Formats: sequence, C-alpha cells, structure tokens
Amino acid sequence: MTPPPGSLLAAEDLRKAYGPTVALDGAAFSIHPGEVVAVMGPSGSGKSTLLHCLAGIVPPDSGSITYAGRELATMNDAQRSALRRSEFGFVFQFGQLVPELTCVENVALPLRLNGTSRREAERTALGWMERLEVDDLAKKRPGEVSGGQGQRVAVARALVTTPKVLFADEPTGALDSLNGERVMELLTDAARSTSAAVVLVTHEARVAAWSDREIVVRDGKSRDMERAV
Amino acid sequence: MNVRQWWRDLAMGARFAFTGGREGWVRMLLTGVGVGLGVALLLLTTAVPNALAVRHEREEARLDYTYGRTTQPRADDTFVIADTDTTFRQSEVRGRLVEPEGPRAPLPPGVGRYPGVGEMVVSPALKSLLASDGGKLLRKRLPYRIVGTIGEPGLVGSHELAYYAGAQGLAARIDHSQVNRLDHYGDPAPSTERADPVLVLLTLVVFVVLLMPVAVFIAAAARFGGERRDRRLAALRLVGSDSRMTRRTAAGEALAGSLLGLVLGAVFFLAGRQAAGSVEILDISVFPSYLNPSPLLVVLVAVAVPAATVAVTLLALRGVVIEPLGVVRAARPARRRLWWRLLLPVAGLAMLAPMLGQGRDQGNFNQYLVSGGVILLLVGVTALLPWAVETVVARLGSGSVAWQLAVRRLQLSSGTAARMVNGIAVAVAGAIALQMLFSGVDSVYTTQSANDVSRAQMQVSVPSGIPLAAAARKFARTPGVRRAEGLAGGELGDSGKDPRSSGELTVGDCRALREVAALPSCRDGDVFVLEGGQHDTPQLARSGRTLYFDPSYSGDRGAEIAWTVPRSMKRARSVEDPTNVRRSGFLMTPGALPAGAARTLYQYVYLSLDESVPEAKEYARNTAAEISPMADAAAWASTEQSKRFTSIRTGLLVGAACVLALIGASLLVSQLEQLRERRKLLSALVAFGTRRRTLGLSVLWQTAVPIALGLLLATTVGLTLGAVLLRMTSTPVRVDWASVLSMAGAGAAVVLAVTLLSMPPLFRLMRPDGLRTE
Repeated sequence: MTPPPGSLLAAEDLRKAYGPTVALDGAAFSIHPGEVVAVMGPSGSGKSTLLHCLAGIVPPDSGSITYAGRELATMNDAQRSALRRSEFGFVFQFGQLVPELTCVENVALPLRLNGTSRREAERTALGWMERLEVDDLAKKRPGEVSGGQGQRVAVARALVTTPKVLFADEPTGALDSLNGERVMELLTDAARSTSAAVVLVTHEARVAAWSDREIVVRDGKSRDMERAV
Repeated sequence: MNVRQWWRDLAMGARFAFTGGREGWVRMLLTGVGVGLGVALLLLTTAVPNALAVRHEREEARLDYTYGRTTQPRADDTFVIADTDTTFRQSEVRGRLVEPEGPRAPLPPGVGRYPGVGEMVVSPALKSLLASDGGKLLRKRLPYRIVGTIGEPGLVGSHELAYYAGAQGLAARIDHSQVNRLDHYGDPAPSTERADPVLVLLTLVVFVVLLMPVAVFIAAAARFGGERRDRRLAALRLVGSDSRMTRRTAAGEALAGSLLGLVLGAVFFLAGRQAAGSVEILDISVFPSYLNPSPLLVVLVAVAVPAATVAVTLLALRGVVIEPLGVVRAARPARRRLWWRLLLPVAGLAMLAPMLGQGRDQGNFNQYLVSGGVILLLVGVTALLPWAVETVVARLGSGSVAWQLAVRRLQLSSGTAARMVNGIAVAVAGAIALQMLFSGVDSVYTTQSANDVSRAQMQVSVPSGIPLAAAARKFARTPGVRRAEGLAGGELGDSGKDPRSSGELTVGDCRALREVAALPSCRDGDVFVLEGGQHDTPQLARSGRTLYFDPSYSGDRGAEIAWTVPRSMKRARSVEDPTNVRRSGFLMTPGALPAGAARTLYQYVYLSLDESVPEAKEYARNTAAEISPMADAAAWASTEQSKRFTSIRTGLLVGAACVLALIGASLLVSQLEQLRERRKLLSALVAFGTRRRTLGLSVLWQTAVPIALGLLLATTVGLTLGAVLLRMTSTPVRVDWASVLSMAGAGAAVVLAVTLLSMPPLFRLMRPDGLRTE
C-alpha cells in the first residue's frame, strides 16, 4: 500500500483490539508537514489508540504505518524509541510532567535524553518556555504551577526537540476554556513556526477548530470530514 | 462528638480498606502480609523464652548421672545406665545403655518399656537416619534391633538423635562418671545456674536488635497505599467530612489492615511453628509444642500492633492537608531539625554509660537500662537518617538523566526514601554492634585448642579392662587411620592413703612413649623418670622408694597397689605430647607394670587420620564402638567455642538474615507501589523515547543513595554501640572490619536484589497501556 503523495505520516487499514474490544477496525490516516489534523470522536471510539499506533507507542495488530517513507513495523523497539525522542513530540491531557523536576528541567528532558548537555538543553528549554510565556516558572516544580501553566510547560517540552510531528492527546481536556484557547493558540503557532505536523486528538469541536483538517473516528473506523468554511 | 460517630467513621475506613476492587484488595493484602510477617516474628520471639525453658525442663527431666562417689545398693527400683554419646558427622547422638535391676525401675521419659539386651528404642530422627542410605555407617555403630521410638517428653528437639539400648552386666562397670546406678531420672532438686552476665547482655541485645527492625517494618507496612488513601480522603472531604472525620476514617482503614495483619500473622506463626519442627539450627531443634508464646505477650502484641499502625497513619497524615479538591503537601516542608534527633542517641549513650567497665565480675547489667539504651541508640538511627538524607541530597548536583531523576525525586520527598531505608539501617547498626561484641569476647568463649592437630586428629578413651595394645592395633587397621598410639595414665602417690605427694604416670609401648618423651633407649619392662615436665616431682623418683598406684583419698577408695621405684630406672626428657603438654612423673612400659595395676589406669588412643579418606572419623568411631560402646571418640578441632556462645552468634546471623529479607520485602512492596502510582508518568516518559536503562538506573540510584547514607550512619552508630558494649564488658575495643563489611554488604545486597526484582514490574508499567484514559 502506498501512502498519499507528500504525506509525512500515513496509516492504512489499521486494526487493533484489546482482548475482545476492537479499538481500531480498518482506520486510515495521513498528515503532511506543517499540517494540523484533528482526530475527533466520542469516548471509546479509538482516537487515542490511533494516536498511540501512529506514534509507534503501540504496534497495530495489522495495517501499515509509514513515517517519512519508512514502515514503522520494520523498526524494533529501540529504533521506534529513538524516533520518538528525535522526531516526535507529545502533549498529554494532564501534562504528565515529572513532579520532582523543575519546569525547565522537565522541558529540557527530551534534549537530555538525546544526549545534549544539561547547560545547552536548559538554555534551549528556556527559549521555548519564553515562547510559551512560562519562562518565569523555570525554577518551579509542576506541583507549584497552575493547570494551564503546566500544560504550556508540557507543550514547550513537546516542541523543544523541534519535532517533525507533534502528538497532542486531549491537550486542553483538563483546562478551562480560556486557558484551553491560549494553550491551543500557542501550540499551533509554535508548531507552524517550525513546520511541525500536529496530530490533535480531541472530542471538543472548539479545539478541533484550530486544525486544518478533521478526521472522525467511530467504532474504530476513520473518515475525513469536510469542513464548512 | 459522640461514640457513634466515631464508630461510624472507623467503620467507614474499615470498609474502604476492603473495598475498591482488585487494586484495593491487593493493597490490603500487601499491608496485611507486611504487618502479618512482623506479627509472626514478634510472636516467634515471644515464644522463644518458653521454647528454651521447655528444652531445659526436658533436659533436666531425663538427667541420669550423679556427682556422688558412693555406689547406691542394688534394689528393685534401681537401674544402671551408661553414657554412650557419640557423634555422627557433625551431629551429636545421645546414647545410653540401660539395664533395669528390678521390676520397679523407673522408665526414662518418653520410653514405654525398657529395651531388652540387643534392642534399642530410638528418637524418630535417629530412626529415619538409620533407615536412610546416609545412616549406614551409623547403623554399624548401633547394632541393636529397633523395638520402639522415644516419645516427645524424652527428647529436647524434633531433630534430636537419641537412643536407649538394653545392656547386661553394666553394674560391674559402675565408675560414677560414665556408668551409674540410679533409682530415678531427673534432678530432684534442679539447680538454678547463675547466668553469665555477658551472655545475658548478649541475648538481651540480640532480641532488641532483631525486634527493632520489625517495629520499623510494621510502621512501613502501615503506610502502604498512602497516596491513594489520601486521594480517597480528599473525596470524602468534598462530600462533607471534616478533617477530624477523615483522620478517623484513615485510622479505621489502618486498623482494618492491622487486624488483617494480626490474623495473617497468627496464621504465619502457626504455619512457621509447624515448620519449626522440621528445622534444625546448630544441633538445636524444637518441637512445635515448645513454641507457645506467653498469653500476656500475645495480648501485648495484639494491642500494640494495631495501636502502632494507627499511630503511624495519624503521624503520616500530620504533614498532609487533605482538602476537598485534593491532597496538599507543603511544597517545601519544614526543614528537619538536628538537635532533637541527636538527643535520642545521646540519651541512649547516657543510659548505657553507668554500666561501662562493669565487666563479667561486677554482677548483673541492669536489663532495663541496657534495653532502653540500645533502643534509644537504634531509634536515633531512624531519627537521624531522614535528616542526613535530606541534608545530603539537597547538596547533590545534576548528572545524567537517570541520576537527575533520582536525585530530584529524593530532594522532593527524602522522607519516603529514608523511611524505606530505616529498617535496614537499624538492622545493620544493631548487627554491627553485636558482631563487634562477639568478636571482642571471642577470646573468652573461643579457646584456642591446645591440641596439636598436625600430629593427631582424634583421641579415643578406651574403658579399662580392654587390652590397650589390641585396641590400638584394631584402630591402626581401620580405613583412614594412619597411626594409632595407645597410652594409659594414672597416679602414683607416696603413700596408699591420702598421699602428701603424688606424680603422674604414663604407660605405653616404646613407640607410643616416644610421643611424649625423648627416650635414650627403650624396651619392654623399662621405667623412665621424666625431666623438663610441667610438674616435676624428683623427690618421688628415688630408686628403692615405694610408691602406690591409685592411692585412696578420704571418701574415695583406690586400689593402693604398691610399687618400688627400680634402680634400673632411666631418665627421659619430656617433649610436648599431641595435646601440647610436657608431661612429668614416670613413664612405664607395660612389662614394668605390677600385677593388677593396669585396671587402675585410664586408657586412650591418639589417632592420626588420613583426611583424604572420606568418613575417616566415622570409621574410627565405628571401630571405637566395636571395641566398646563406652569408648569415647573425640575429634579434635583447632579451636573450640563455648556452645552456648556459638548458638547465640548463629541465632544472630539467622535472625539478621530473616530481618533483612523481611525488610527487603517491605522495600520491594514500597518500591512497586511507588512505581504503580507513577504508572501514567512512566508511560509518558516512554512515549517520548526514554530508554528503559535510564528509568532502571534512576530506580537504582533512588534506592542506592539513601541506602548508602543509611549504611554509613548505621556503621557509625553500630561501631559506637559496639564500642560501648565492649567497654561495658571490660573488653578491649577492637573493630572487626570483616564483619562490619559483611553486614554492610548484606544491606547493599538487599538493595540490589530489590532493584533487580522491581525491574520486571517497572518495564511492565512502562507499557503504553498506562496512557489509556478510557
């Protein structure tokens, strides 16, 4: 199966089941560099599973996923981990910041995992924190900042390696609408400035409105949505 | 606030403890098992004094020797009994030959009827040993037909090897030591021996040292599942519980956990008690029925353990503010103060100080001061460790990602880490102190054996009346025996009754005599006077003088056989014999012995063994038993230790190993719980490409740093306590670094084991499933 021309990340006929529960049942997906694609659908529809499969976190039972022309299934765990470290970025619903590290250490963590020195990693991290307007929180720990601030720190962490693809799983799910809007604005601006593709999993239309294209997942199947302009 | 409300809150807590699905049950089970293991160990400890007492009573009840020198007349209620104890490999075998002299002769405890001649009754352990392939050599030594087993009242342990064999003609061999005539078993007036104060001190400290970590362990077990519980309490606050109510609910939950722990502890104890019957440590085994803790101590455990867990839970909640919207821990908890933490060990030292220099001779150590002092010193470790960990980790810089994750985690919650390590630190500190004490008093209890084991490795005493030369030849033909030299010893006095002066006599053939002296020349019939011995008596060695074999003393009639010192007597230079003694007195070849003198002598054979022959000692013992069941074969070792002292030391090692294993289990449980709490975070870290190695190493550092600090502190406190205890016993302070390192190494091994064991669950928790929210 060949991926759509020009796509950075593409998936075809993905199937994944957890025991008797079918999460994905022939889902397809593609995204181009710099594109923001929202994956929508009700709870339990398979959105997060699709994201996990696309990011190489969970292997699908069948189907193909290609990233920059490379089939993910042919990579071993170490190669997929390396891909996630260097090419992908992640934002989760609750930030998932390491509570014992300061905010700047959290943001610098992916760079440090890639072997960058601490000083250099924290310098770059501070630059991203500044862009996301949380540089004043650098020395604070996650427990000492608000939910919105924490999520912005998480976005900075996801972008610090200048990833080619940013995976955001309900990034505003735990935030109020005002904070959610601000986080989405900063996230999409920052992603566009680096030409990063964004896979945005959400069930909120308000959040999906920040995307260029929407895909709906229902009962494990996906379909493109036409957007009324 | 009424009692009803209190009860309702407690009951709600108890209900929370048992509900909450699989995870709730697992947590409850972990807490229960943790507390249960501690309770079982406590119950076992409280049962030990009773077990020792029962062993002592049984030993006393079967006592079958007298110290008198007069022979009781034969009667219809007397019996003659001969001590034929032997050793098989490393195990002692209690053996008796018995001959009832009348129908009313009492039976030994645990024996239903006297075995006939050629028959024996045996302990169950001996019966199975004799029936096994491994017992074949022993079977040859005990050629009697088994006609019954000795019941529990006649044995001091389930693994004791013992037998009573029927015999004939024992009365002729009564010697008031190995063979006696008696009309009862047991000592009618058992003497209470005054315990050696140093041994009492050692035992006391061993108990405290083993029980302290158990207390720490129970406290740690009470905190299992703390974070989840706090979140649950926050939910309660949301629906209207005030902070007091939530605390009571938490107390109810802890109480339920500890009650389950008590039940499980009782089950573990009963199972362990049953299993104790099949265990033998250093020749000491017990019957399950011995392990009955005193009811008072059981009640104490049943009250103290739940009370302690509730207290620990409430203390843990002290630093936590449970708000309706979540749990708030002070972001920067108050800095730990050193001064009051130092007070504890200082107070402990102050309690021990008055007893410094008392030593063995100055009477008893005050057991309350000793226990109190040791407890305070060890509690001092638990108080100082959180401060030490906090102070040190606050100064630790950044390194690799794994190191940074670990250090930051420790900086954020050093208390948790310190609590986890406390148990090990206390156990190691106590063990180091005890090892030092043991090594220090080693010289008192371990006597360097005087025997020259390069010349002989066994000494067999041969009952008089048995031809010594023939016995020596029989030994020489035994597999594994290189050389056998038979010698006999006796006494020569200057008069037949109550001699003013007496000298030693050694009898043997020329070859055997050369083991004890340098002889100018020798042939049978020669007599020598020794020079250069330890107690030379030249006034006796005048030719023509009449001396007496086996002189009589008041109350002890001897054979009084007269012998004239011959003119042909030669001089011989005494050399060190195989027992490293320079003998004095006379040497005599068998041909020079006057008639009847041979039976006044005690006979023995030195055996030089070929250690390359497997079971050489057992072959020699079998030969000894063939010569006479009453021949006593003793194997020589280069050092000999007081048996009681050795058992305390072994007890400590076994106890320390059990406690370390217990603490290791608690560390593992806490570690796993912590990992489970961080499941989502771990999955997120994996999502953005964190290597397994990085997370594994961070877990290792997270455990290793507090453990290293704990071991350092434990070593310091342990050495201090050890030095104090040595000063108390007036023993020169000497550090046994080998045991310090071995104990510290054991602690470190526990950390490594815990880290390794937590790796598979860690890797499982790192799976992406943790990211699933739906």
